[in-house]
Amino acid sequence: MKKLTKKIKAIFIILAIVIIAGIAVVATKGFNIELSMQSNNRVELNIEKDFEIADIKNITNEVFQNNEVIIQKVEVFEDTVSITAKEISEEQKEQLVEKVNEKYSTELVSDNIEIKHTPNMKLTDLIKPYIFAFGLSSILIVLYMMIRYRKLGAIKVLVKTIIGIAISQITLFSIIAITRIPVGRITIPIIIMVYLGTLFVFTNNCENRLTKLKKEEK
Amino acid sequence: MKKLKVLTILLATVLVTMVAFWGIYVPIQNRMENKVKDYSYMMDLKGSRNITLSVDKTNKTTIKDSEGNEVSDADNLTEEELSEKGYVKEETPYNNEEDLNVNNYKKSKDIIEKRLKELKVEEYNIRLDESTGDILVQIPENDSTDSIISELSEKGEFQIIDSETKEILINNNDIKLVNVMYGSDSSTSTTSSGTIVYLNIEFTKEGSDKLKDITNKYVKTETAEDSEEVSENVDISDEEDTSTSEKKVTFMVDEQELFSTAFDETIETGKLQLSMGNATTDNENLQENITQATNMAVILNNGQMPAKYTVGGNEYILSDITNNELNIISYVVLGITCIALILLIVKYRTKGLLGVISYIGLASIFLLLIRYTNVDLSIQGILGIVITLILNYMFIYKIMSNIKKEKGKTIGENIKESYKESFLRIIPICIAIIVFCFGGWAYISSFGMVMFWGIVLIATYNAIVTNLLFRINDNK
Repeated sequence: MKKLTKKIKAIFIILAIVIIAGIAVVATKGFNIELSMQSNNRVELNIEKDFEIADIKNITNEVFQNNEVIIQKVEVFEDTVSITAKEISEEQKEQLVEKVNEKYSTELVSDNIEIKHTPNMKLTDLIKPYIFAFGLSSILIVLYMMIRYRKLGAIKVLVKTIIGIAISQITLFSIIAITRIPVGRITIPIIIMVYLGTLFVFTNNCENRLTKLKKEEK
Repeated sequence: MKKLKVLTILLATVLVTMVAFWGIYVPIQNRMENKVKDYSYMMDLKGSRNITLSVDKTNKTTIKDSEGNEVSDADNLTEEELSEKGYVKEETPYNNEEDLNVNNYKKSKDIIEKRLKELKVEEYNIRLDESTGDILVQIPENDSTDSIISELSEKGEFQIIDSETKEILINNNDIKLVNVMYGSDSSTSTTSSGTIVYLNIEFTKEGSDKLKDITNKYVKTETAEDSEEVSENVDISDEEDTSTSEKKVTFMVDEQELFSTAFDETIETGKLQLSMGNATTDNENLQENITQATNMAVILNNGQMPAKYTVGGNEYILSDITNNELNIISYVVLGITCIALILLIVKYRTKGLLGVISYIGLASIFLLLIRYTNVDLSIQGILGIVITLILNYMFIYKIMSNIKKEKGKTIGENIKESYKESFLRIIPICIAIIVFCFGGWAYISSFGMVMFWGIVLIATYNAIVTNLLFRINDNK
């Protein structure tokens, strides 16, 4: 028992360090937002023939010195490429056009190609649509847990479940901030995974304790 | 006999696996076509229509007479004719400079979001460029995309004005609710001539009083023989009024004149029904009228945008997650699954092998089920598939460990025990999944629906197939 307490203490200390470090990183550097959600620049090059994303990637690696870019095909014929980067200068645009012309024997003119600006997507806009689903499911789950595990102490279960869900999510965000994992489309699936994982661990734990209690009562 | 039964199940599993992973190809017009339905992907995996709404910086031209009154029928006049009549052309911007600020841009963004929600668009992204006011909207590509786009840039300014003096009698602030109604049209004869769609406008208390005053003041003084007897219903398509009246009102939406009319009687209910199009029995026309009315209702219900926008860009851009990348994810999942299944065989030998056969069968049926239940796959949906496969692995592992541990019990008892132990532990997950299915946001619904079918399949499939496989094996 004493050993277990030590183990739990160690886990809490590690979690506290991770959370504090996470808060510090968010306060100083913020989250690393993925390029598609950041304010960015985009150019479209109408190649008018089939092309491979990998070939365009080689070109953008040369022009943008391996900085992150998003390459997408445009419209139904998929013969136009959209290149998105954090910043695209006139010079980089010219280089892109030149290299694409060289590769695909096209006659694109840099002056005719516009650098389009895409505004950033706010983190709140990313999270907002999920609040209702997560909120409602958490309330229903906590109610279920309080009823199902009332023998373990309804209030205790309530507090533990809420704190458990909250700590797991805060720790996750801290890890995301510290490791600089880009926040974007992949973030919500990670949140769901940790959320369901936490629920499973808690239910498993409560179920084991309830079984043990029932056995002791017998 | 035992071997034959196991072999039959094995062959059935192989068949389902082949269908799920490769499909069923039949020759159609000199080419092979896969008859198995393809996955339906959402915007993050497929692509989206990107619409840029730009703040309208153009000017509108109005022609005014010498007294400064707007002249409506002078559009076709030449410059000379205008000067002869003493008319003057005036250029005024659609958007006043003082209206172009961050607050109004944000309000416009909120209104667009409300419109999207009311138009039942369940997946969208909206971004606002606070410096220019430009709004980027990303919505999925489908049959209703163009119709939705046409409603996004509308300012939504509704007015009922005096046809002569142009005095504004009622505007958006007086509207409480707008909805669509439809019923059979019996206004022209005793028999119904089809279904007619109405735009039902409910006014606020103040608006109702205004409407009452208007319908008292703008009354038809002389009515043609065949004029409509409908009191509260005004036909939006009936531009040529058969009656003559001294005073008329004009219905305007976004400064576009819809029609002018006068009223038969006083409206005291505070409700006004405008018929959209003519009564029709044709389903296509009816649907068109309903869509038109619904779109109008959506625009009017969500208030007037503080700035006028135009569609600056409109293009379909494919997702940056390519099929190659999706294949890589599939191979990684497949690789991990193979290792886990090999471990199962190593640990539980024959029973492990049966568990693996059952597992592969479930995975294959699950992949087919997702396609035929019309679940739209997103990144979250793919996560749902992975979690379902993990849960099934844990469940089969539990059955086998129970069988190994509780040798005194029958297979049936062990499987029953495994069901009880496993499903009691995932009830909170099931609650979350059911809520996610109805979460009101397509991405979370995608995850919820995938997981819902996954858990239903785990429960039923294992009760039938896994149970049968272990019973056959146990029946020495």
